[in-house]
Amino acid sequence: MEVKTERIVAYGLAIVFFLVGIVCYAAFPVKTPEEPIRIMFKSTAGNILFDHKVHASESGYGIGCTDCHHTLEDEGEAPTACGECHEVDSEDPVKRSDAFHTQCQGCHEDEGAGPVDCSACHVR
Amino acid sequence: MHNQKLLVSSHAPYWHNGSSISGKSYSFMLAALPAVIMGIYQYGLPALGVLALSISCAMIWELLMDLAMRRPVSIGDGNAAVIGLLFAMLLPATAPWWLVVAGTFVAIIIGKQIYGGIGCNPFNPSLVAIAIIMLSWKSFMDFNEALVNYDLGFYMVYPLSAVKHMGTSVLSNFSMTGLLLGQQAGGIGTTFGLGLIIGGLYLILRGHIRWEISLSFLLGVFVTAYFFNIADPDKYAPPLFHILTGYSLIAAFFLLTEDSSSPVNFVPMLIYGAVAGFLTVLIRNIGAFVDGAVFAILLVNVSNPLLDKIRPKAMGKGTEHA
Repeated sequence: MEVKTERIVAYGLAIVFFLVGIVCYAAFPVKTPEEPIRIMFKSTAGNILFDHKVHASESGYGIGCTDCHHTLEDEGEAPTACGECHEVDSEDPVKRSDAFHTQCQGCHEDEGAGPVDCSACHVR
Repeated sequence: MHNQKLLVSSHAPYWHNGSSISGKSYSFMLAALPAVIMGIYQYGLPALGVLALSISCAMIWELLMDLAMRRPVSIGDGNAAVIGLLFAMLLPATAPWWLVVAGTFVAIIIGKQIYGGIGCNPFNPSLVAIAIIMLSWKSFMDFNEALVNYDLGFYMVYPLSAVKHMGTSVLSNFSMTGLLLGQQAGGIGTTFGLGLIIGGLYLILRGHIRWEISLSFLLGVFVTAYFFNIADPDKYAPPLFHILTGYSLIAAFFLLTEDSSSPVNFVPMLIYGAVAGFLTVLIRNIGAFVDGAVFAILLVNVSNPLLDKIRPKAMGKGTEHA
């Protein structure tokens, strides 16, 4: 190809790719599923990757919604995210870290399954 | 010995063999296609968006820099497009648009153009951009965090992060065949090992990259990971796992072999690749980062001019004893 032709092809490709990029970003953003698959909890002690799907699905541990989302009246209702009430720094009702430690560690200990050591969940 | 033909030359006129930078760039894009298609298949249109925007932005930055520096427009050679493509392949499919725009700016302007353009860059431009993004916007490059909304039917924890934090007990979640076929979380174009190997072999056969660098890198990774693994099999993953995960294969065939940042002579190429492989596993196993390939390659890029001092013996300077 001549240098001039190459340049024209490059201009064309740049325009086409730019438009494709804009369309993909605008029209097809990454979908957030109705029910979370995994959740990354941010913490100064190290982030925690929580596999919501494995805990909640029947093929996984089959834990009912109300077992964790304790404000739910019935299973069909949309649950409130934990952080909505349990704030990072607020002791009222219970601060987020305490709520999670009680909920996660407590269940793991009761069931004799799942990690209980700090570093098994908190990853730096 | 005196009859050995060391150099055969002929008189002008010469015939150009038809090779060009643009031809090489298009070969690179073709070679990357299997891995890219797999990335789009797995992560859908958001991945296509990242790839398309990255390629176009890299070309636009190059064009703007050419215009600002009053130099001939060089986007026709396709080098900027390849840099944009490789940069996008290293990103997660969920990378926001501004990250792509900022990353391609770093790759083209800081990684390539300020050194004088094509052939003058001491570092791989795509890796300069990824390194800066890894340090500046860490959470966007954390594949576990970036891909939380994807469920592709296999274990979606980033393999290198899983092993680094939980030891080799997690290896039961991965199969080597699965890893080779792209069943792992990671960058858009970095997970499909088989596709990267096919692309790499194509580039080697076409003469665009040097097998010495790729092979010595893979051997460097293998040998280093092997010694770590036999030292503590509960903590350090086996060598094949290191080769099939993270940025290993894209590094071996597409990143480490970049022309201007890699050596040209045989022995330097072997040292360059082997040291990069060694450093990659060292950073992965005992360093702060989950994947060491990016910083390992940037470090050996620095050593490139020094390595090229190891030159073959000049012709006619042989010590022949009468």
